[in-house]
Amino acid sequence: MWRRLLANPRLRGLFLFLSVAGPGIITSNVDNDAGGIATYSMAGAHFGYNLLWSLLPIMLALIIVQEMSSRMGVVTGKGLSDLIRERFGVKITVYLLIALVLTNFGNVIAEFAGVASSLEIFHVSKYVSVPVAAVLVWLLVVKGTYRSVEKVFLYACVFYVTYIVAGFLAKPDWAAVGGTLVAPSFKLSSESLGMIVGLVGTTIAPWMQFYLQAAIVEKNVAAKDYKWSRLDVIIGSIVVTVVAGFIILTCAATLFKAGIRVETAADAAQALRPLAGRYCAALFAFGLLNASLFAASILPLSTAFVVCEAMGWENGVDKKFSEAPQFYGLYTMLILLGGGIILLPKIPLFPVMYVSQVLNGVVLPVLLVFMILLINNKKLMGEHVNGRVYNAVSWVTVAVLGGLSLVYIGSLLGL
Amino acid sequence: MAIETALRDIPGTNVQMFVFFSEILGGLVLDADGEGLGRLADFKVKLGELFPKVASLAVKLRRRKQLMEIDWSDIEICNTQTIRLKPGAAGHFRPLEAGPDEILLRDELLDKQVVDTLGAKIERVNDIHLIIVHQDLRLVHVDFGARGILRRLGWLRGVDKMTNWLFAYQTEERLISWKFVQPLLSDPVKRHLKLNVSARKLHEIHPSDLADIIEELDSVNRSTIFRALDTQTAALTLEEMDDTKIQVSLIVSAPVEHASDILDEMAPDEATDLLADLPEEKKRKLIQTMEKPSREAVEALLKYREGTAGSIMTKDFFSVPGTMTVAQAVEEFRKTTCPLESVAYLYITDGSGRMAGVCTLRHLIIADRDAPLAGLMNTRLIKIDPEAKIGSVTDLFRKYRFLALPVVDGDDRLQGLITLKDILQEELEE
Repeated sequence: MWRRLLANPRLRGLFLFLSVAGPGIITSNVDNDAGGIATYSMAGAHFGYNLLWSLLPIMLALIIVQEMSSRMGVVTGKGLSDLIRERFGVKITVYLLIALVLTNFGNVIAEFAGVASSLEIFHVSKYVSVPVAAVLVWLLVVKGTYRSVEKVFLYACVFYVTYIVAGFLAKPDWAAVGGTLVAPSFKLSSESLGMIVGLVGTTIAPWMQFYLQAAIVEKNVAAKDYKWSRLDVIIGSIVVTVVAGFIILTCAATLFKAGIRVETAADAAQALRPLAGRYCAALFAFGLLNASLFAASILPLSTAFVVCEAMGWENGVDKKFSEAPQFYGLYTMLILLGGGIILLPKIPLFPVMYVSQVLNGVVLPVLLVFMILLINNKKLMGEHVNGRVYNAVSWVTVAVLGGLSLVYIGSLLGL
Repeated sequence: MAIETALRDIPGTNVQMFVFFSEILGGLVLDADGEGLGRLADFKVKLGELFPKVASLAVKLRRRKQLMEIDWSDIEICNTQTIRLKPGAAGHFRPLEAGPDEILLRDELLDKQVVDTLGAKIERVNDIHLIIVHQDLRLVHVDFGARGILRRLGWLRGVDKMTNWLFAYQTEERLISWKFVQPLLSDPVKRHLKLNVSARKLHEIHPSDLADIIEELDSVNRSTIFRALDTQTAALTLEEMDDTKIQVSLIVSAPVEHASDILDEMAPDEATDLLADLPEEKKRKLIQTMEKPSREAVEALLKYREGTAGSIMTKDFFSVPGTMTVAQAVEEFRKTTCPLESVAYLYITDGSGRMAGVCTLRHLIIADRDAPLAGLMNTRLIKIDPEAKIGSVTDLFRKYRFLALPVVDGDDRLQGLITLKDILQEELEE
């Protein structure tokens, strides 16, 4: 029966898409992690619908950057850190990886903080929620195979629907939403510019490019089926933008109107309760829990993967502990320390996040430049190098993103 | 230890000096008068010998964008302290060019992945170990260890001091002799040449390890390595692979002739599984070019639906008529050339070719040479229908604990054989 179904070209296309889909959708969704949700909530709460339009250019940039990662993955069959090591040597690679591990570590802490605070809304103590979450995340990867892990991740993506439902429950002013998207107001204050930079910073992160490319390599997509991988990336980027948009909507329709300022996603969920009702607040909090757990499983995994690949150590979820000690060691350490820090009674969370955000901002432009150099390398990419127009667009994107992240670091350092 | 072995392989060694590539790379290149000309950018090595010689130096000259090359014979001294040209050699620089049997150490080996044929693993080259013998600089070892990375980062001395002070311990070198290294080159021209003596060593790796290595490689190197294998090794390696997607891509990318030869070599049931996953047209073409016996076996197997006994059975079985004597059967067994998947049992047919009974190998060895097989055989047979579900076959194996069971059609004619190994494989895949 399968064979007859596959003979139908349209169904065959769908089947091919399903077989390569996953990496792009997963990567984009993980991007809406605890930090992302906090930023979107703030954007909605502080600026109302005004910044909604900025999601569209961000989405385009996301598609362009991720398309390059996935193309490199399909064509070379190698991970990004692999390619960087081979082209730029061990020195650059090691220092880049150290920075990457530190920023990812900061993100892992943020994810566990997200788990703790979202469950505290449901009256679960962090001394219960964080250890349970850490063990769950650790087991998922150590005891699973890549395919089963990916399946769990894909299901996790479905739960982002909670934000869309929450958005409808908040009863936003749809006319105003349409208005700002059709005729955006570009009146930028220094405060709103800072917010936009924050939005970009949280949406396009260095670890994503590494994770996406590695996941695509793991899928063994043939070069002729590349268009389906591209579709995967595009769909992922659109989904993530829609979800982000609904988070902004929810907060704009409620918190902004009431003039409430929030600093974290959990704050937002708490503040939503009297304004938008119990269900909306609960959905919002549940979304945060899902996002935090999801990202907490992927970030340590991706970090361990990337480091081992570049250093030539054995890696992969299909290996046993004794076969890949560095891989599992790094993975376990990130989870243990990331969860552990949240459990310390008086944690100085802020400086950790601060350093991690600054490093994120430094690594991103460097990484983007490396990516463009690699993707234009004829020896590596053959006929799949960037076209001239596409190259110009990517360079502009990279320059803008790089510039914005430098501005962001500047603002963080108080320059 | 590894160093001593290497030295033994070079006859008449007397003066030796080891040097790491990273320690000379980037060094200042001087002319005969001690005037700096530029920096050492790469070594070009001519492959072919066990421990290949450095043929020339690639130098980044001042005020020149392109790398320039100068022959090793123009070099007076080359060590970690000094790299100096012979008098009058400064005019001999020419633009760098590498022939098909030459590789550039920095561009094509350092930081790249290679296959370690001794450890049967893929490793990354952290540094390269060279030796000076008889005025020649030769490539002897490749460094896979952490020390190689530390050396290049410039942290080695600091780390050594720290570990010595803390634990009275020093990290170990992981040098592997060049003869066990199979480079994976990105240049398509070089890729298809068997440049290295070690290419031969690939065949010494167990097919199961070889399968792991190939699955781990990127798609380009995957097919290169696969093509370098002889037909038999390639067939065994394909059988050992777990990922059907990779199996299919390897067979599809190989030239049709070669692919069908490999399929001929494979056990028919394995070949059938693989063929069933191929696109219809490719499948037909490959089957057509296969040799007659294996083609017929595969065609017969392809008729059975997936998940049935018929689809996993093997066509390589041994059966003789019951009228034969033990001695004749042994003679017949000797003449069988195809590699039998199971030799535990021989199946006995009656005059009309129907399944009559089964003997064990033990029977053949201990029984009287002139006894007819019909008198020895066991006639209580457990048989499998080709349409039976694999699950029910597994139950039969669990119940009766045989090493193999015969598959017969409705007319009681022997169609094939299912071995315990086949069942194990099915179970493991679930």
